[in-house]
Amino acid sequence: MSNNQENNSKNNIFSTYTDSIQFGLDKGLQYVKYFKQLVTTKDPAELLESTEMLTKSTLDSQYVTFPHQFSNEDVQLIFMTRLLKLTGLADNFKIKDSEYVQKLYGVFDSVEDETFSFAKSQVSTTGYYLNASSGNQPLMYLNIPTKELLFNGPAIIDFFVVELKDTEADKIKAALTTLINFGKVLKEKAGFKTDFNVLDGVNEEFYEFAAGNIAEEIMDELFVKSAEENYILMADEDNNAFLTLNAKTKLIIADKGNEDQHKYGAFVQDDDQTENWVFLLLDYPFIRDWYLANSRQLEIMADQIVFG
Amino acid sequence: MDMNETNDQFGQNDSILSKAVDQKVDYLNQLNESINNGDDLKIYELIDKNRYLTEFMKQEESMEPDYFNLVSDLHDELSHHLSNRLIDYLGKTYPFFYYHEYQLGQFKIYFGNWWDHRMLGELDSINVKFMFDEDEFNRLADSFKLELDNRRVNDATMKSLADENENLTQLLEQQDQRDAQKDELRQKLQENEEKSPMPWEAAKIKEEKERLNSQLLELTNLDEKAAGGRQQIKENENKILALSKEETILTLEKQNIRSTFGSFEAFNDNNAHLYEKYLEYLQNESQVSDHE
Repeated sequence: MSNNQENNSKNNIFSTYTDSIQFGLDKGLQYVKYFKQLVTTKDPAELLESTEMLTKSTLDSQYVTFPHQFSNEDVQLIFMTRLLKLTGLADNFKIKDSEYVQKLYGVFDSVEDETFSFAKSQVSTTGYYLNASSGNQPLMYLNIPTKELLFNGPAIIDFFVVELKDTEADKIKAALTTLINFGKVLKEKAGFKTDFNVLDGVNEEFYEFAAGNIAEEIMDELFVKSAEENYILMADEDNNAFLTLNAKTKLIIADKGNEDQHKYGAFVQDDDQTENWVFLLLDYPFIRDWYLANSRQLEIMADQIVFG
Repeated sequence: MDMNETNDQFGQNDSILSKAVDQKVDYLNQLNESINNGDDLKIYELIDKNRYLTEFMKQEESMEPDYFNLVSDLHDELSHHLSNRLIDYLGKTYPFFYYHEYQLGQFKIYFGNWWDHRMLGELDSINVKFMFDEDEFNRLADSFKLELDNRRVNDATMKSLADENENLTQLLEQQDQRDAQKDELRQKLQENEEKSPMPWEAAKIKEEKERLNSQLLELTNLDEKAAGGRQQIKENENKILALSKEETILTLEKQNIRSTFGSFEAFNDNNAHLYEKYLEYLQNESQVSDHE
């Protein structure tokens, strides 16, 4: 009786042990299956599925750990580069060097000196920030299981416009276009909730300024700086200010609030609906200088919960 | 006194009166008709026949009776009526002027529709005349004049503000240097005080003390100036911005005058002959519509 009990409890221990190892191995096999799918599938839907499964799980278990592995941060980067490639949107964003199994970095063809990688966010267990290695704020937030993608305007401007100010505008725009296309395909094909923020090219997008009310001097400054570059800041019937930048593009500064509570911001209108706030800053240095010199009032804020 | 004669006298008076009233009624009828027919040219003739004849018809001056005071209480309404076609015409001939009817028949003239344009004066539709504000107009005239010497209206003020800012910036930058100098002076003062001079040296020591104190005072004065420096720099920057804005506006005004009239003189000349030019235009317009 006592022997039996002893055997039983030993059996229990052994079976728990083997079960746990089995669980760990199964998990590993499952992981391998999805990882293979992640790197080999030609179907964007399968790519998304495998990324989601990998993002939600971990490879290690209590009894089985693997010394060499890619992190979930790496998985996000693999997903991003492969999705861009598979959908034919861009092949200017690639994984820099996968020789080492430590950490993967992405790189844009046009801004070779800068590397990008994902990092875990504090906001959600499945949410990841895309960071520039030399920047200090996250540029983008990606959460595949919850289908969210948000851009961080102030960080994007700080990095792509200020830090990389010596890089040609077209090269920066090529990199940003890739980010925008990445967001677009997730929004349109996978139903992601997206916030393009300062990268939103839709004409109706209202880039709201942080200060709400804008001191008259700030508008005067734009008027003077524009005139120096032979652009004339005009007033329309609704008392908005606007700059005709070229035959297709117009910048409008409007107050969407009222006398008691002003809500100043900008619209960028162009026939192709591709111009966005950042492109404008890149294309027109006088607007960039004006915006940066008065950034305390003019800053276009990003989502405060995700990037706050 | 002969009763008949008196009657005649009164009778004559009545007929004069009646005739005068008839003329007035006729005048008002003509005015009314012209308003209803949209015949602005005729209205201008009725407003000031003498001017109409001399300036527009190029005839000798004649002493035409002035009935316009009959409608003196209707000037605003009449001005509103006349402004309609006048502003259309001015829109073509002075494309840079914009008008705001702030009360019936009263129009403010704005130069340009750029951000923060100037109010240049008022439009007198009844007399077909720009009533420019003297100060505002003179600023434009000055700007044209100074331009010949490659100068601008606000150059001197802007330069002195920029110079002041440069000095203040320098003062701010030299704070550390001044602090070191002050320490040195205080050290010397202390040494000076510790000296127990021989009587014949006392005057010299006292003199040295005074010199050191006045140097110290000079430095603390500079410190004070520097303390308000940042604020002053900001204020000056705002003043410079306001002046640059004014220059920007003047530049745009000059560009627009040149592109429409070729020169400031031609612009002024056109203003001086606005009445006859507009009436000619009205005449041509009516001839065109007659042919249609």
